[in-house]
Amino acid sequence: MSEPASHFLYPSALFASKEPYIVNTILGSCVSVCLIDSKLQIGGINHYMLPFWNGQGLASPKFGNIAINKLIEKMLSMGCVKNNLHAKVFGGGNIFESNLLQFQIGERNIAVANEMLMEHQIRIISSSTGGNLGRKIQFNTLTGEIIQKMIEKKNVMCEEP
Amino acid sequence: MVRITDEELIEELRIRMNENLRSLNELKLLASELKVVNKKLEESETLKSHFISNITNEIINPFTSILGLSKAILSVEKENWKKVISMVVLIHSEAFALDFQLKNIFAAAKIEAGEIFPEIGRVDVSGLISSVIESFQVEAKKRKIQFNFKFDEVRNNDSVFYFKTDAEKLKLILSNLICNSLKYSKENGIVNVRAWTLNSELLVSVHDNGIGISEDYQKVIFDRFNRVENTITSVNRGHGLGLSINKALLDILNGEISLQSENGNGAVFTIRIPEADEEAYLTASDGNELFFDDKQVF
Repeated sequence: MSEPASHFLYPSALFASKEPYIVNTILGSCVSVCLIDSKLQIGGINHYMLPFWNGQGLASPKFGNIAINKLIEKMLSMGCVKNNLHAKVFGGGNIFESNLLQFQIGERNIAVANEMLMEHQIRIISSSTGGNLGRKIQFNTLTGEIIQKMIEKKNVMCEEP
Repeated sequence: MVRITDEELIEELRIRMNENLRSLNELKLLASELKVVNKKLEESETLKSHFISNITNEIINPFTSILGLSKAILSVEKENWKKVISMVVLIHSEAFALDFQLKNIFAAAKIEAGEIFPEIGRVDVSGLISSVIESFQVEAKKRKIQFNFKFDEVRNNDSVFYFKTDAEKLKLILSNLICNSLKYSKENGIVNVRAWTLNSELLVSVHDNGIGISEDYQKVIFDRFNRVENTITSVNRGHGLGLSINKALLDILNGEISLQSENGNGAVFTIRIPEADEEAYLTASDGNELFFDDKQVF
């Protein structure tokens, strides 16, 4: 079998494909939700920076509530059935040290993923979230497998909101 | 049971009171944030309906003119061919406006679908800005507005200055700024465009001497569908997408946009873009690679 094509996922973007792809992305306080339909072998992933869209600017997948809904919609439009979807959640590191509630972006990003996936009744089968480090993850859309590397803060490109 | 002194008890109470106070303040802040968001969402709904009628105007009107004018050209007698030139100028200007609006609409759709990413190349900044200005020259002449472009670059004086960024996105960002500066300039006005670099960041400012933007409005100007005058009959065309697109595109390029203006005294929009470093995205420190099995939760 030939090597799957590779794709680099930038912040605020999302990606889903019927063809096998290796998707790379780098997360700081951002969160990626990976959705996997193991029956159809379709995988999708988003990369959001902030938990909620506040009505300002474009309603882009920069925001968790939009990114998660858009990813689910995209998976369904590719023929996936919600009952067959599983999720893996990554990121949400506390890379900007702060004790104030409003600034704990990582924590709030993770919370949105947990809440929304529960609402959609999509089970989270594995996750690696929080902590003080960034993450580099590699997602295989065919198998749903993920390889994760913890990385130093300075290498995290995820921009401060 | 641990016995504590009165002082210790008071101290403990004080700490807890402070904690309570802090969380109360946080709660208050969050509640006020929520109020703002709620109001924004309501506004967004009403603006959406405006948007649809605006967009219909934006697309249907130019098409109607183009169709009408080209039909008129078809029926022009040979001896009157000189008339054709002025009609072609009109067709060009309508088609240009249409093309520009569609580019914005598609960019917005791509951003909202999460299907947009930087495509970095070496960009001849001065050439790119000049070509954007050139493309608006017809429109500017119609309103007797003059462009003044200045590029101060010291890095390499005599050769072309290249900057690593996304040419297409930069072009659309500048087009939106220049288009706006034209729209809101007075007749016989001057639009000053200045570009320079500072600490390996590219800065471009567009300065018009138009009606200016009030402080209240400056807060919402980057929201989608918002315009200074929110009516369809407004003399100024446009659907208010431009600046919110600019903001999202600059996000992708890790850049920023700022605005300085006083009501009645023109406006200066300045964008700031760091030079792209594609490799930074692709490198990561070694070690601690972890393969993820299902049912693994950290």
